[in-house]
Amino acid sequence: MDANPIVLDDDAGDVVVVVVEGEHDIYTAPTLRDRLDEAIGRGGGIVVDLTGATFVDSSVLGALLDARRRALEADQRFVVCVGDSVEPGVQRILDITGLVPVLPVVSGRDAAINAARVNPNGAGG
Amino acid sequence: MSPAPDVRLTMPARAEGVAVVRQALAGMADALAVDAALLADMKMAVSEACTNVVVHAYEDADGVLEVEMSADDIGLTIRVRDHGRGIQPHVKQAREVPALGLGLPLIAALSDTFEVQGGAGHGTEVRMTFTYMREADPADANPVTGTVGDDGHWDSDATRGTPAG
Repeated sequence: MDANPIVLDDDAGDVVVVVVEGEHDIYTAPTLRDRLDEAIGRGGGIVVDLTGATFVDSSVLGALLDARRRALEADQRFVVCVGDSVEPGVQRILDITGLVPVLPVVSGRDAAINAARVNPNGAGG
Repeated sequence: MSPAPDVRLTMPARAEGVAVVRQALAGMADALAVDAALLADMKMAVSEACTNVVVHAYEDADGVLEVEMSADDIGLTIRVRDHGRGIQPHVKQAREVPALGLGLPLIAALSDTFEVQGGAGHGTEVRMTFTYMREADPADANPVTGTVGDDGHWDSDATRGTPAG
């Protein structure tokens, strides 16, 4: 078992969720970039769920910002979500970099999936 | 004369080593009963310093990453050292480098004191101290300014705001 998995969840249909758990840094950032590329390649909205993440560094932020830029260029929505309680190793870097409104970061996967839909009121998009 | 370090790590300057340094730090912080928020700051700052070594110190050559952690009654001092090409923060890379350029600003914001020593060709040492009982948040005194620029790198002079899109 990978202690720091990054997996794609496409249960939401038109939005792919990239689920990031555990600690992530310069070592796992290339894998995260690959998963984000895969998610963008599916053509719909992209959610990155950091609920299970315990640590992310600037390499991870770089990967997220890069994916966000490419998603927006392709007219795909990009949203990051966290859980009700956020690990200090995740919250702190988001706070001091001011990236919460930029990425953007919202609370809860359902809200993020809704925000990532092209048509938030419908199942399709 | 400074006391002997409590922990000294010497390892190849490779990406997989950064997590090992965090593990050692977590073990030391546990023994010192450091609170979770301070430990998170330490782990972030040390990771960024080690990442700088891995990404910038040796270009494509092999090299060594050295980390020393020493505790006293007031706090923890951590030194991250390489023997690489030294500080060259503004060199443009020909190939794409997956780095935001946020490492040093983050270290400055997360540590209570922070110092970089070295020069071109002489390697670099980043020395950080973390006080157990903080009177103020260092991120207030040394905030990370700016936001990500259009080129994907951090622009310290850019104005923060909610971008379009």
